Amino acid sequence: MLRFVVRRLLLLVPILIGLSILVFLWIRILPGGPAQALLGERGTDEQAAQIERQYGLDEPIHVQYWKYVQTVANGDFGDSIATRRPVVEELKQRFPATIELALAAMFFSIVLGIPLGFIAAKRYGGAVDHASLLISLIGISVPIFFLAIILKYVFAVKLGWLPTVGRLSVLIDLEHPTGFYVLDAILTGNLEALWDALKHLVLPAVALGSIPLAVIARITRAAVLDVQNEDYVRTARAKGVSPGRVDTRHVLRNALLPIATIIGLQTGLLLSGAVLTETVFAWPGIGTWLVGAIRVRDFPVLQGGILFVSVVFVLVNLFVDVMYAVINPRIRFS
Amino acid sequence: MSIAQLEAREVELEAPSGLWREAWQRLRRNPGALAGFALVALFILLALLAPLIAPFDPREQDLSLLRDGCCPGPSAEHWFGVDDLGRDEFSRIVYGARFSLLIGVVSVAVGLSVGLLLGAIAGYAGGIVDSIVMRLMDIMLSIPGLLLAIGIVAALGQGLIQIMIAVGATQIPIFARLLRGSILAQRENDFVLAARSVGVPRRTILASHILPNAISPVIVQGTLALATAIIDVAGLGFLGLGPQDPSTPEWGTMLTDTTRYLQTAPHLAMIPGVAIVLSVLGFNLIGDGLREALDPKLRGRG
Repeated sequence: MLRFVVRRLLLLVPILIGLSILVFLWIRILPGGPAQALLGERGTDEQAAQIERQYGLDEPIHVQYWKYVQTVANGDFGDSIATRRPVVEELKQRFPATIELALAAMFFSIVLGIPLGFIAAKRYGGAVDHASLLISLIGISVPIFFLAIILKYVFAVKLGWLPTVGRLSVLIDLEHPTGFYVLDAILTGNLEALWDALKHLVLPAVALGSIPLAVIARITRAAVLDVQNEDYVRTARAKGVSPGRVDTRHVLRNALLPIATIIGLQTGLLLSGAVLTETVFAWPGIGTWLVGAIRVRDFPVLQGGILFVSVVFVLVNLFVDVMYAVINPRIRFS
Repeated sequence: MSIAQLEAREVELEAPSGLWREAWQRLRRNPGALAGFALVALFILLALLAPLIAPFDPREQDLSLLRDGCCPGPSAEHWFGVDDLGRDEFSRIVYGARFSLLIGVVSVAVGLSVGLLLGAIAGYAGGIVDSIVMRLMDIMLSIPGLLLAIGIVAALGQGLIQIMIAVGATQIPIFARLLRGSILAQRENDFVLAARSVGVPRRTILASHILPNAISPVIVQGTLALATAIIDVAGLGFLGLGPQDPSTPEWGTMLTDTTRYLQTAPHLAMIPGVAIVLSVLGFNLIGDGLREALDPKLRGRG
């Protein structure tokens, strides 16, 4: 088990190095070069030359790369062109919003997706099964931002049940010890804010969770169908284990392996989807931040943001792999 | 009849139904796949015949059509209503099919050809080449797809070609991994071993034994990738990273500012959205149908 984790950590090294080189080179192939990118569109040639000296852009490329790695390793992603604030500070402020949204979406998709897939497999070939297959097929065909717009139109604009934008109503006061609004509200015992934050969270989370929901339901169905006919399930039934216990202890437990893998694989889609969902609901997370940065060509923000999100993605995948080994005895003991 | 004759007869009976022929027969009996073909055919017809179908110029603005600052819904003259600049929504949807289809097909072609080349090299060369290529693919996969596309568009600038490259690039590692895995799996197969042991040259083995068998998952993935590409292109358009000219009738771009008019003109959001869903659904249905039809485990059952 330890060897597995160590091996997996070692595999991380070339990926992180490659990723840093990619992001480093990326800003250097921009039209007009990095100095122009840092200055924005109004920069003169003189200013550009000054920036080049200031940032050491006239040095050999490997020296530049080494310096870049050192600053990034110190947690310095440079300053935003638009706000003149350190990129890291803005990142800290916006990251919890995206994580909160992603966790809520994941929760929604797992809590609904696994039972849906399970029921579909139990009623294999029946109406529920066909309906769930059809829904999941449509689910993966609807662009996430379009689903977000529909949800917003029906539940926020037409019915007025839920708020249209943001994380919290303007009139509500809430201290932010963690930046996770739901958690903040619980920690400070602010029930009004908790209710309000939850209401703001529902639509974005449902929109973002829709694709993972469809995928999880599909995989659960396939996994349960697979496991159901295994010898050990038949043995358990034959020796008189109650059907409910067979389902939970034998079928679902073994079906969880592929489900866990697919949940891990959804993280990347979730991070991509967050960019689109946040844009529809004006959710002040990483997504709206990056999209805003593209519009004003704020390259330090883009560079830092994309690197940061990718590293998070890589770490989540590592975590999923390790968890997979924990729940799968075949890997644990090999 | 002797047993040998019987066997010969059986072979004769089975011979004409090759993999593709059988797959086609199964596909024809799959209602989902047929619906997919119908949707995609409609989509292609719209794209090809756009100038004949569209009643108006998709870029022509007529501000006199606007009522109270925004856009009347469907009417006899403007089937899908008009947008916030008084352009005919139906004509824009029809022309939009051209952009979605063109960008989708070209970007998948980019991702597929580069990905397959890298996958074939990695799978066939093995060793250090394999390691380097696959680590490169891992690095590309470690950036979430849409962010990679955003980064590429931000670097190359906005425009049709740039979007095609960006969306295609996100698909390179998928195809590379798929073909490499497929080649590795086929290489160990008995029929490859048999071919090798009777002295078939390496190149012939790759061309006529490994590739034909490795290619069917690629075809399935290619169809599904078209669906993903259309969604990604629309996503970039929605984020304001679509074609540089904002009057271009691209479906995702058409959705961009519509959230502002949800109260007064929901049709502006719904119509392009439904167009995207139907075309994506079409490719997904065909892809699913193809997967079932080409699955060797299901062969001979239908």
